[in-house]
Amino acid sequence: MVRNAKSKKSTNQLLIEQMMTKVATISQDIEKRGQSIFGQGNLLTLDEINDYSLEFLELFVLLLQAGEKVDRRSSEHKALRQFFSNFSQQIQIRGGNLEEFVRFIHFMQDVFLNNLETDSTLDFQQTREILLLLASVFNDIILDVFHVYLAEKERTIQAQQEELKHTSTPITEIWDGVLTLPIIGTLDSSRTMSVMENMLARIEKDRAKVVVIDVTGVQAIDSQVSHHLIQMIRAVGLMGAKAILTGIRPEIARAITSLNIDLSMVSTRATLSEGLKEAFALLSITVLAADVQHH
Amino acid sequence: MTMLQGMHLTPIGDGIILLEPTDGLDPGEPDAYLVPLAGTLQQMRARRLLYDLKNVPVIDTLYYAWLTNLASICRISGIDMVLVNIRPATAYALALTMEDNPPFACALDVNRARNLP
Repeated sequence: MVRNAKSKKSTNQLLIEQMMTKVATISQDIEKRGQSIFGQGNLLTLDEINDYSLEFLELFVLLLQAGEKVDRRSSEHKALRQFFSNFSQQIQIRGGNLEEFVRFIHFMQDVFLNNLETDSTLDFQQTREILLLLASVFNDIILDVFHVYLAEKERTIQAQQEELKHTSTPITEIWDGVLTLPIIGTLDSSRTMSVMENMLARIEKDRAKVVVIDVTGVQAIDSQVSHHLIQMIRAVGLMGAKAILTGIRPEIARAITSLNIDLSMVSTRATLSEGLKEAFALLSITVLAADVQHH
Repeated sequence: MTMLQGMHLTPIGDGIILLEPTDGLDPGEPDAYLVPLAGTLQQMRARRLLYDLKNVPVIDTLYYAWLTNLASICRISGIDMVLVNIRPATAYALALTMEDNPPFACALDVNRARNLP
């Protein structure tokens, strides 16, 4: 009799009924597991863990109550996925581990599965449908969490790359009207763009007359890198400033000559200090030691 | 100040003339401007021509060709041509497309251009 009545009910209803009979145990189990994962690393407070557990159960019930079948486009489904996205984002921000978080989601699913085992009133077909329903909902959740994780990682990498761009090419006004630009690493198109943009803006802002571009930190030079360097030097010239290229190591000089790159129009010096001397000479500045000045 | 088609010319002392292009300038028609401009510069006894790019946001190949033509005619007339007030973004874009060194000098502003040797 009971079996007949149950067979007419939808999978969603069956699952709700099952949950309702053991809601206290389910909630307790989830909270306990949450505490052991997130509480130890101080990722979440006890209150937060309890709130998250209750909110999850509420949203899950709302999803099941929304219709006879779970609709992936429904607002309830979106709300549940959004809840997990926010939850995982918070865990990540606080330094949590994706693997632990996914294990926690699996644990939530296991709690429902364990519940199924103890319910002898469900027939095979009903149990199968509930299993499929749980698998579908929790798979979507795990996928969402994974997407959030990847997006967050990508954002972090981009931010680090931006920071690296700025810190790896510091433009310094070393003297009135003299800027230095040490280049470290390789010069690709994207980096050239950002360096040129910053450098030209600084020439205008600081009213620079000379820019010393130091390539001591450039490991290798190919035709593309040298092309970028020439573009940079031309841009400096268009702003009415003079560019001096310094720090061309013997290997780099050899590479430039083998590549038949014409740097004849570029003023070059062996070292940064020689470049600075040249910059001072261009500005008619003489630097003298204090004792020489006295005499 | 002298007005020619598409530009204003202002003598600023010592044979230095400031050229400010107006919106009416069509760089695609250099022949319409070069001869009258060269004549006027000679009348003004110009020694140096400062071409003000303050209001020129983009220098495309057409505009660059116009500047090159003007620089050639200045050189033949014994006049130095100096570009002034180029915007950083304009310089940046131009440097990416240039294949050779420009045939004119550049200065950050009019004062710097006046003091060029």
